Amino acid sequence: MADWLRGSAVYRSIVRHGTADTNRNRSLVIFENLFLHVHPVKVREKTLRFSHTYWLGGVTLVSSLVLIATGILLMFYYHPSVPQAYRDMKELNYVVDNGLFLRNLHRWAAHLMVFGAFLHMLRVFYHRAYRPPRQFNWVVGIILLILTLFLSYTGYLLPWDQLAFWGVSVGTNMAKEAPLVGEGIRFLLLGGNVVSENALLRFYVLHCVVLPVALLLFLSVHIWRIRKDGGVQGPPSDVDDPRPEESA
Amino acid sequence: MPLRRLFAISSVLFLLVLAISPAKNALRSYRSLQRQYRKLASSRAHSLKSAQGYEARPVAIQQIWLRDFENRVDRCTTCHLGVADPLMAGAPRPFDLHPGTPHTPGGFDRFGCTSCHGGQGLATTQPDAHGSSVDAGPPMTPPVFIEAGCGRCHLSDSVAGAPVLSRGRALIARAGCYACHAVRGQDAFRSEAPPLATLPLKTGGAWVKRWLKDPKSVDPNATMPNFHLTDQAIDELSHFLFAAQVPKELAGRIEAAAAEPPGSSANGKKLVSESRCITCHTVEGKGKGSAPELSKIASTASRGWLLAFLREPQAFNPRTAMPRYHFSETESRDVVAFLEDEFRDFDAPKDILEPLRVNQSLAENGRKLFRLYGCFSCHDPAGSGSEKFGPELDGIGDKRAQSLDFGRRTDLVRALPAWLAAKLESPRSFADGLKMPSYGFNADDSRAVTTALLALGAQGVPDRYRYAPPQKPALLPGGPVGSLIQSYRCLSCHQIGDRGADVSTAPLTYEGSKVKRDWLVDYLVLSYTLRPILEERMPVLRMPREDATQLADALESFYVDPSILADPFAGRPASDADPAEGQRLYVGLGCRGCHILGSSGGYYGPPLTEAGKRLKPGWTYAWLKGPQRWRADVRCPDYGLSDTDALRLAAYLETLVPVAPSAKPEKAARGVR
Repeated sequence: MADWLRGSAVYRSIVRHGTADTNRNRSLVIFENLFLHVHPVKVREKTLRFSHTYWLGGVTLVSSLVLIATGILLMFYYHPSVPQAYRDMKELNYVVDNGLFLRNLHRWAAHLMVFGAFLHMLRVFYHRAYRPPRQFNWVVGIILLILTLFLSYTGYLLPWDQLAFWGVSVGTNMAKEAPLVGEGIRFLLLGGNVVSENALLRFYVLHCVVLPVALLLFLSVHIWRIRKDGGVQGPPSDVDDPRPEESA
Repeated sequence: MPLRRLFAISSVLFLLVLAISPAKNALRSYRSLQRQYRKLASSRAHSLKSAQGYEARPVAIQQIWLRDFENRVDRCTTCHLGVADPLMAGAPRPFDLHPGTPHTPGGFDRFGCTSCHGGQGLATTQPDAHGSSVDAGPPMTPPVFIEAGCGRCHLSDSVAGAPVLSRGRALIARAGCYACHAVRGQDAFRSEAPPLATLPLKTGGAWVKRWLKDPKSVDPNATMPNFHLTDQAIDELSHFLFAAQVPKELAGRIEAAAAEPPGSSANGKKLVSESRCITCHTVEGKGKGSAPELSKIASTASRGWLLAFLREPQAFNPRTAMPRYHFSETESRDVVAFLEDEFRDFDAPKDILEPLRVNQSLAENGRKLFRLYGCFSCHDPAGSGSEKFGPELDGIGDKRAQSLDFGRRTDLVRALPAWLAAKLESPRSFADGLKMPSYGFNADDSRAVTTALLALGAQGVPDRYRYAPPQKPALLPGGPVGSLIQSYRCLSCHQIGDRGADVSTAPLTYEGSKVKRDWLVDYLVLSYTLRPILEERMPVLRMPREDATQLADALESFYVDPSILADPFAGRPASDADPAEGQRLYVGLGCRGCHILGSSGGYYGPPLTEAGKRLKPGWTYAWLKGPQRWRADVRCPDYGLSDTDALRLAAYLETLVPVAPSAKPEKAARGVR
């Protein structure tokens, strides 16, 4: 039965290279797959060790995938309008099956993503991985950090509770303090001069469409560049540049 | 390979963790409650079929969706499954039948649950729905304050079937809360507190100090609250009050009156009892109590002031409820002589009415205190500007306990009703420097006022749910008739349209269609008691006949209801409508159970001995066709009389006229008094 299945045309058209554990076959699997080909064909075992990268980039990537999955599900239950937005939180809490779980998963994954992104940046910084040839990817990473923070901030308003309302009031007032363009930025963000239904709609579109699309775009570039720059860089191996304390 | 094994194990663990959420979902408490309900209800069912019906009910969230009531969704019936099911009467909570109210069991689909009970309708767990868990939605209104729910939609002062709420609203109006606190729809509220301009000529320094110390101890009917002032503050305020400039015209009247010779106390006594002062005032606690206690009045106000006030109360306080009595010069002297002799505080110090010698620097401090405590809100509303003195009360009923300042009151339950009740009982106990005075509310009063305050929601209910009694236009003429109505303060007791106080059972809105003009003239000149069992009676205002005629003519021509036929007999004589049959009906329906006719009958309704002289047949006919149409709470039964029968009765009553000043009706009339 299993043999028949493996022999069928449909199976062979999907799984083209079988499961053979040869280096050639593994490379073929990566090469011929749209989704995997951004990934290096070969990964050194050393780089998979926990102490090499602390898996921080991976944690951030996985939490962003969790966020996309739960976010799409949450969109089924959410209306970006007043006062329905807040009521939808209640509905998720009280009526939607596993709704609270879904919402909490989204929330915790978001915290994890921001936290992971920060730690990842620190790790890269201390490992001096921002230096050529990875200087371009460092800049892409910074853009990704900013996008992550914006995603986190725009998501903050969506529950439309007191915390959200005042959080966004304070945040946009801070934006207002920017010289020259401050007022304009605030008006643009809020779609008006106060935190209102317009602001909710703008934040919703930013949170669910604009920012995720931008994030995915830069994420692909980021991961693609990892391969192009020779895989992840762990702790620098050179010891010719000890820190002053160590030399003293 | 260890990495793969680790991967496999962690995947399984992760799946298990993921299973927690669906498991919690399946074990939600309402599900087991619904299964219990199925069992209980099917065991109570009267027929196999209905038992099977209960058994077949799916376990699911139940909800009442009120699309046009703020899009409310109430899921209370998810657990309270038997609220509309008569079968569940007496069942244990939460399955029991809802007690009968004007809106249940018929109105669940229209009103839901939270519109009366509060709480969080969206929730499906008990702590969140009832508001007992931290950070849940608005908590439920405790059952003792349940009438607050009525008040959200029912906006009138008095709400039938909600005595606590109505009492609370009446207490708020009487205490004058709206003078300091803004509330939607009460912008026009003015306190009835007297202006203080004539105070230096009215009373003495000692009395004012006593009054400021605790108004209720001086006069139990006092509406002024206790400001808990220090002796120094009282002294300063008294100096400020006595520094006021008395308007020249009034000062002249008071001084002239003080110089008049004394009157006859004996005649005064007769006049006072005839005038029925205790319809509003009390004498040693007896009476209605809407106006000051009189038994110590001579130790409150000087003779000159009393005399001048009695002659024209409205000149002293344009907002007073006191009508102008037309006593002659001598008669008013007699009345005041009686008050001076009998209604005096014999324990009071001799100098209680001695005016205070004003010290300007103390008076200046007093002026500041007068502003600091917001005295102007009641005593000089014109001087207060548009800003209200106290915080606004709109939406107080929807305040969350977290946003309330409990200050020093750590003893209180952290809930809005407890906070409100404590604010009413001892307002200054929350922190130092608070200014709200205490009103001496007892537990019942504060419960009633709290109920009325809880009814002040943050947002008005939709128009479809808002209920205010239909507006009756108030026709208040100007000119001489208008000033007569003003001067006799008809509106202190009678209603015209929606204006006026609901003290008298006879609103004047359609009085012209109701009573005959000639009777009315006589009645206004010398009123007598129509309803012996009522405490509030028409005072004898000593109205001159020309005033009475003018008022009666105005009532006859303006205050008519077009739905009351002027002539129900359609041009034919009343005798054609078979009054004899009407008499038979009168006996048959048992009218005499409540109405006096001749020498017998009950005391509840007005006597009908002279009905033909008093009432217009069109009115009698309209009344008999449906007494409750005129006033919802009348006890006269609606017999559902046919037109013919109602006409016969009207024709019979039309025959009831005093034939001649013979002995019989005269005696009956005296019996009525």
